[in-house]
Amino acid sequence: MGTNGQAVDVHDLGILYDLRLTRRTTLKGSLAEMFGRRQDRPTHFWALRHISFAVDHGESLAIIGPNGAGKSTLLLALAGILEPSEGRVDVSGRVSTLLTLGAGFEMEISGRDNIALAAAFLGIDRRTITDLTPSIIEFADIGPFIDAPVRTYSTGMRARLGFSIATAVTPDILLLDEVLGTGDQDFRARSQARIRELIDRAKAIVLVTHDLSFVTEFCNRAILLEKGQIMHEGDPAGTVDLYRDRVRQKKALLESEARRFASPPPAE
Amino acid sequence: MATPSPAADAVTPGSRAARPGFFGLIREGFGELRSRGHLIRYLVAADLRRTHADTIIGQLWWIIDPFLQMLIYVVLVTVVFERKVPDYPLFIFAAILPWKWFNTTLKDAATSVTARNTLIRQVQFPKVVLPAASVVAGTVSFIFGLVSLAALLLYYHSRISPWLVTLPLIAAVQFAFTFALAFFVAAANAFYRDVQNVLTHALRLWFYLSPALYSVDQVSSPSMQAILRLNPFTPIFESYRNIVWGHAPPDWAGLAVVLLVSLVLALLGMGLFKRVEASFAKIL
Repeated sequence: MGTNGQAVDVHDLGILYDLRLTRRTTLKGSLAEMFGRRQDRPTHFWALRHISFAVDHGESLAIIGPNGAGKSTLLLALAGILEPSEGRVDVSGRVSTLLTLGAGFEMEISGRDNIALAAAFLGIDRRTITDLTPSIIEFADIGPFIDAPVRTYSTGMRARLGFSIATAVTPDILLLDEVLGTGDQDFRARSQARIRELIDRAKAIVLVTHDLSFVTEFCNRAILLEKGQIMHEGDPAGTVDLYRDRVRQKKALLESEARRFASPPPAE
Repeated sequence: MATPSPAADAVTPGSRAARPGFFGLIREGFGELRSRGHLIRYLVAADLRRTHADTIIGQLWWIIDPFLQMLIYVVLVTVVFERKVPDYPLFIFAAILPWKWFNTTLKDAATSVTARNTLIRQVQFPKVVLPAASVVAGTVSFIFGLVSLAALLLYYHSRISPWLVTLPLIAAVQFAFTFALAFFVAAANAFYRDVQNVLTHALRLWFYLSPALYSVDQVSSPSMQAILRLNPFTPIFESYRNIVWGHAPPDWAGLAVVLLVSLVLALLGMGLFKRVEASFAKIL
């Protein structure tokens, strides 16, 4: 499948947002922007810029960094949901994100029909999903409700069914975005076991998490992302240490600034 | 846990930087419609279910609704405006039912992309299936609604003519026209939500400026005649009326022009939709 064993090859990736379109535009808004008030606010925003890295088969890469660093955006670009504004993303094999916890459910049709619908959205062919449906239903553990409209499901049942569908097919490249706990205690344990299983089976993994111990335990490489750029790339322990240092520094900086504002300025 | 199976139409993206040109996009779009046919089918089934889940008689509204609408127009035109047209209920019914199809479909298509915003931000799938599903769902409902036309024709049985068999051809032209516009409104509404509001009123105006409640030869004003000549629904409505009410053949030449325009618009609409498809995940 992949040339020279690379599962993911990202080269000089940039994702640009046009802010004029992202704020829930109405015609009035863009007309107002067209005439007058133009330089008020920045119109574009690079969520990611100059990102290059590769993930080999068998590797598991963690992406860490503060909120708003662009971690989730990067996963969306790898999944093909966001198109690169510049650079390129090469992915060999079937990609799967576990983001899809019931997002596409139709309330009026049955759980069983929703499995078929979700599979069709995910591009899983019909024969495969027919074979998988019994195990999906069993794992979701919703019993006879499977033939009732999803409207009648509890939140937990919907989440379980969503998770069960999303994890039914083992992907070549698994993209994980911090969805390690859904539902009640029992289901959380089972879902974590299943994710471990997926991690074991997938040819490559890219995951975004704030759980730094998970990074050092399960990943063999890590990228520290800050403000849409790669700050550091290396072994998990070193990258996590660097991240912790930077968080500490930032906290210290914030605290010293807070002190400066709280206390009166020194007399001259 | 399942074994990884090589799915026939699995997402196997190659390099995502290279984008095909406009014609490449059009081909890609129609290819996606073909390869994701079962997805469209599931969406249509869900759509029909959703629309009728909260009403008691469900799909029957597609039969009753045109009848009620017809009654209102009959009262308005024959009682208030005192116009006399023989078998007037059938005369306008031939336009009301196709218009309901067009009207419902375009409104559904307009919100087809925006209604799936969460999913679009989480799953990579060809977005062309969304407006396409609206068009197919509308068509299924229309076919069901034809029962009401059949019932009315049984009452006005002297109007039944062999030309009725050409109804699928006229409907096919209307389908092409609706299909083409569906992609424009779906894409436009993703960027500007005003579109769905404007559309409601634009469609209403369009209906009154089309020969639905009147026929072309009843119009004397030159400006109105010009409007009617440019209106794609003029040959469509006149054709339906000819075969349902007038013992006459469809306006073949007019339909041919509309079909040609629709095919060009469908290609343009598909190309445009595919061009902006990539930004849906960012702007929704």
